[in-house]
Amino acid sequence: MSSGIPPWRVAASATATTSIHSGHVAPAYIPVQARRSIAPTKATNPVPSTTPPTTPADAATRKKVEFPEAVRKYVQRSFAPENRLPTVDRSEMEAKLKSVITEAAEGNMLDKIDWETLPLPQVMVQNDRNMVLASPGVSTWATFGTHSPKKSSTPLVDLSKKRKSVEYHGDASSCPPWRQTNNQNAFEDRVTYPSTDKRQKMDSKNPSKSKANLEMRRKRFEDAQGRHGSSPSSRGASPTPNANQGPVVGRCQELEKNYFRLTSAPNPDTVRPLPVLMKTLDLLKKKWKKDNNYGYICDQFKSLRQDLTVQHIRNEFTVSVYEIHARIALEKGDLGEYNQCQTQLRALYAQQLGGHPTEFKAYRILYFIHTRNWTAMNDALADLTAADKRDLAVKHALDVRSALALGNYHRFFQLYLDTPNMGAYLMDMFVDRERLSALAAICKAYKPDVNIRFITEELGFESDEQSARFILDHTSEDLLQEKDGVVRLLTGGRAGQLFEGAKAEAHRIVDIKGQI
Amino acid sequence: MSNIFDDFKEGQKIGSGARLAASLSPVATAEYPDRLKSFYYFSNAVHVSADLRYSLFQANGLRLPKQEQNSWVDIFTAYWKAVGEIVRFDDSPRHASWVKVFDAWKDTANQLIRGYSTGSLQAWTVPCLYSVGRYLRAFAMKADAELSAQDSVTFDDRFQDDATDAKNPKLEEATRVLNRMFTLCLSDRAPIEESRKWGIYDTTNLLFKTYFKLNTVGLSKNLLRALNASSADLPGLDAFPKSHIVTFEYYVGVIHFLDENYAEAEEHLSYAWRMCNKSATKNRELILTYLVPCHLVTTHTLPSKKLLAPFPRVEKLFRPLCDCIKKGDLGGFDAAMTAGEEEFVKRRIYLPLERGRDIALRNLFRKVFIAGGFDEPKEGQPPIRRTRVPVAEFAAALRIGTHADDRSRVDIDEVECLLSNLIYKGLMKGYIARERGMVVLSKGGTAFPGTGV
Repeated sequence: MSSGIPPWRVAASATATTSIHSGHVAPAYIPVQARRSIAPTKATNPVPSTTPPTTPADAATRKKVEFPEAVRKYVQRSFAPENRLPTVDRSEMEAKLKSVITEAAEGNMLDKIDWETLPLPQVMVQNDRNMVLASPGVSTWATFGTHSPKKSSTPLVDLSKKRKSVEYHGDASSCPPWRQTNNQNAFEDRVTYPSTDKRQKMDSKNPSKSKANLEMRRKRFEDAQGRHGSSPSSRGASPTPNANQGPVVGRCQELEKNYFRLTSAPNPDTVRPLPVLMKTLDLLKKKWKKDNNYGYICDQFKSLRQDLTVQHIRNEFTVSVYEIHARIALEKGDLGEYNQCQTQLRALYAQQLGGHPTEFKAYRILYFIHTRNWTAMNDALADLTAADKRDLAVKHALDVRSALALGNYHRFFQLYLDTPNMGAYLMDMFVDRERLSALAAICKAYKPDVNIRFITEELGFESDEQSARFILDHTSEDLLQEKDGVVRLLTGGRAGQLFEGAKAEAHRIVDIKGQI
Repeated sequence: MSNIFDDFKEGQKIGSGARLAASLSPVATAEYPDRLKSFYYFSNAVHVSADLRYSLFQANGLRLPKQEQNSWVDIFTAYWKAVGEIVRFDDSPRHASWVKVFDAWKDTANQLIRGYSTGSLQAWTVPCLYSVGRYLRAFAMKADAELSAQDSVTFDDRFQDDATDAKNPKLEEATRVLNRMFTLCLSDRAPIEESRKWGIYDTTNLLFKTYFKLNTVGLSKNLLRALNASSADLPGLDAFPKSHIVTFEYYVGVIHFLDENYAEAEEHLSYAWRMCNKSATKNRELILTYLVPCHLVTTHTLPSKKLLAPFPRVEKLFRPLCDCIKKGDLGGFDAAMTAGEEEFVKRRIYLPLERGRDIALRNLFRKVFIAGGFDEPKEGQPPIRRTRVPVAEFAAALRIGTHADDRSRVDIDEVECLLSNLIYKGLMKGYIARERGMVVLSKGGTAFPGTGV
């Protein structure tokens, strides 16, 4: 997304810690929000600060998109304590708020909506919920499944505080399934095992019975919840029932869409179906040729890929999207993005969906030469079939690898000058590094000097000037001397040391996450 | 009553962790084939924990602190359920599933972990932890095999489009449990005599094994880092059981090996080689698989026939290459690399072995030097080898070495490049005088260091 931080994020990030926290203790107290519009106390402060997004620091971070005053007021009102609804918890409200503003922004409706009269997000959530409850086809259990666990337990736990005797009954039946294992443990911890053996036997029978009941009940919920769900007992798996209800089917007809990293289930209204995406790709190809604007194109491709992913579209079209994005990223030297595409492509090719597997397998080998990831290189080699190895590009990449492994710079630079497809973009990334290695070897092996022309030819430079400049860039002037009208590189110990140092510098671990 | 209770009782009585761990093993023994079945059918879901409490303690006359007793009852209850899933493979195979076995076994592991983390289980019982961990790993692999046989199309439901092809969901689940075992052992602050730290290397090994299986070797470095950080509190390696240490050192060696830290790799692998039980042929074979290439890179030496004689598989793996290296037969070397490529890549030794070509090349060029004979001896002096060798002679040798036919041409620049590499790597001593097309080798038997000439 080309914008800065949208308004809902400002508040959300400040309260991130507390909203997680409140999952456990929410019923015990309601955080009091005393201060407003004072400079933000950062995330370390446990009190959620509802600072409106107008403080100078915030304004600085989101210079690019200025949300209208009305929108900001609306956000402010949503977070205001007096508008809080006890039955709608904060994270739900935030999610709703976010989707409202996203939709408005994407539809260019920011200025058209009457923010003054628009219901607050918490009210919307409440209304939605009432609709669900009112509709006959949906059982109450389903609503417990789709809503977050906190809300459903809130009123009941309050109740149990007053009526201790029903505490566990009430809790066990109202608690959503994924919480049950925990409750069960809490229960066990509370049972103090009696001292005499006789009673022990009796008592231990009871929990086991109720344990069996709990087990059965949990099974029942598991079935109602659908089979994809993460197992209820697994630690740290957050309950996101919406996430597991299969692929989304998009309804959006817009061709272009900014990338936004999803934090909740995708909204079908903002997801483009396959036919639209195909048109999008054509449009993007044209725009790339015409404008060559990488920032824009990368963003568009990311949202394109996202739409494919959330709709579980895996076919030849998917392959071509990733291939085109990978090639563009290569051309621009955006290795981070390229690597993402490459990783996906590997999985896609494994499913035999077409595309250009050998071309990209060759890139993959060159890429691992660049990042010097030998473990991954070994995997890449293991991936190759006999047919792959006969392919021109793959063979070239393998030869490059083997030439480097053996220090055969002569062969390496011959291969460099004759690289198929777009492999040269990748080789450009490490060719200087290998030149330094070669020079270090040459300085040690040749005496007393070598003609600069030899360096130029051997190390794939375009001209003597270029190789002279390269040498001077990494060493000192006195290594080049003119004798009888030819420039010569003085080899030997000192030159070797200088190149050795430059080589070590260049071979430091490559940062592969260098995204543009 | 069942064997399981006997193991438990004996283990508790004599304080033997191994014996105690045996009671939690999910396999039937040869002398007691009905071990699992009779245990499972001795109770039912309703009464199992009460029955266990009776059979483990009262009937055995064992008295343990209450909290500890409760923990064992919980553990064996989970174990009983897991055994039920295993027994099902015999009783109603159609309803049996390794996924269920794994899930139930994972519960057992978690109960055990809980027992330790709440402090109710004593440290000497820690062999139970890795015994359970070992089977957790085994069941996870079976469960994954079962899952992948069921449906091959797994589309993971993630929002982000970064790729993850989860082929081993259960094994990955298992690593998380194993990781907790690892922390449980490492972070125990009890005095060393009664510390769970004694289990650290065995749990580490389990994790290593699993990471290798999952192709996420990189993660093992986190373990090494954690171990390093608390190395001050750990007893020396030789205080631990040899079986733990040999495996541990082997894996550390291989991890360095994969990072191309051959010197360090060799240190660890040699340690493992020396300490390994002489009758553990399989393990010694594995160590050699990495130690031989390692040695080739660090010392430029080849394994003797005698060394490899007891290990025909290793011999078969390396001998063709070794012969070619020895003879300086480059063509044969390349052919042997291609022939063995699949196996080498699978064992992750392709890249270091490839470096053997340098040694083959050195041996070939050394022959050139020897064939060059001696310079005219000066009066009264011992004969000196001819140390000025034309590049063209090396080029001719290369033609022979690579089995080049009449039409293929040998590029003099490439010959020079190969020479310069050998000089750079210290395999040859001397320099190239390019303008004169001559290699000037050093005198006094040091032209090819370490080879006598």
